[in-house]
Amino acid sequence: MNFKRDIPSRTYSGFALSALFILTIFNILLESGVSKTQRAGDALLALSGKEGVANAVTSVVVYFRGFDTLGEIAVLFIAALGIGLMLHGDRRTEHEESNYILQKASKLLFPMIMLFGVYVMVYGHLSPGGGFQGGVIIASGILLLLISDGSFEVPHAVISVLETFAGISYVLIGLIGLLVLDKFLGNFLPNDVAQMGRLFSGGIIPLVYIVVGIKVGSEMSMIVQNLIQRSDDD
Amino acid sequence: MMIESLFDYFNQGYVIQSLVDTGSMILFFIGFFGLLTQRHIIKIFMSISVMEIAVFLFFIGNIFDVKFTAPILGDGHDAFVSMNDPIPHAMILTAIVIGMAVFALGVSFAIEYYKLTGKTNINDISEMGER
Repeated sequence: MNFKRDIPSRTYSGFALSALFILTIFNILLESGVSKTQRAGDALLALSGKEGVANAVTSVVVYFRGFDTLGEIAVLFIAALGIGLMLHGDRRTEHEESNYILQKASKLLFPMIMLFGVYVMVYGHLSPGGGFQGGVIIASGILLLLISDGSFEVPHAVISVLETFAGISYVLIGLIGLLVLDKFLGNFLPNDVAQMGRLFSGGIIPLVYIVVGIKVGSEMSMIVQNLIQRSDDD
Repeated sequence: MMIESLFDYFNQGYVIQSLVDTGSMILFFIGFFGLLTQRHIIKIFMSISVMEIAVFLFFIGNIFDVKFTAPILGDGHDAFVSMNDPIPHAMILTAIVIGMAVFALGVSFAIEYYKLTGKTNINDISEMGER
């Protein structure tokens, strides 16, 4: 009874998908032009002006739904933990010499990538960017070092200290807000609207985003290192 | 002159929305086709990622309105009026991070399974005693 394997799945699924695709396109083209009367974010946009943060997306991510961001970071941490459990212990046995141009160019580019990542992270409340983006940029710099230098390893002790520090500070900032203002992640630092647009503005929001950036950067670096350090058994 | 009229045509709201909707649906069905037809396990994960990206594009492009600006102050904007909705941006930011983490976790499972059994084709996976 091997009939399951003999279905020409490519043919059937191709026909079915084409029909679905054409139906969807017709549906979309018929429905386009529907006017939106009220949007979900209008109230939050009105509230964003009171927190002293120039970037409304940042104030939504870090302040209005900061608790969800804490959960999201927990999800990222659990994924990094699973990858570490799966792939831990595979060390690179032989160090391949990488390209000369790659070696020299990575030495030149690595500080700039780090600086750009920190810039995106710190200016997350003023311009497009933030902790997640800055952390991923920093992890891409680590990836460049890993593929160019065969003997480079991300220091475990530093990463674990940074990650623990970042997680604990996120929760501590939230708890201090709970103590001072009677709500979790309350904005207890001075957030004057007149200071909007400067680097030191917005109260706890830039602090929380920097902490998120540190955590995301260290977790991404560990994921990248675990994925790249393959023993060459295949 | 020709170029400017073309830009004016594309700068209408419904034209951009139709383009973005159609393009993201094409991308979604490319991913769906790959999901149904490919048997290599990492290609299946890549197809799921393509479908995810299509959904992100659909959300962001659907909420976009040419009359409004990005929800960031600066460049002459000093009040949060006539700006695009920030909630889909924040939501898609979350979804991108989670999707990346899940993709990396799935790839690590696939690598470990390949090291254990030497199989990458999901038709050959028969640990459940199906065959």
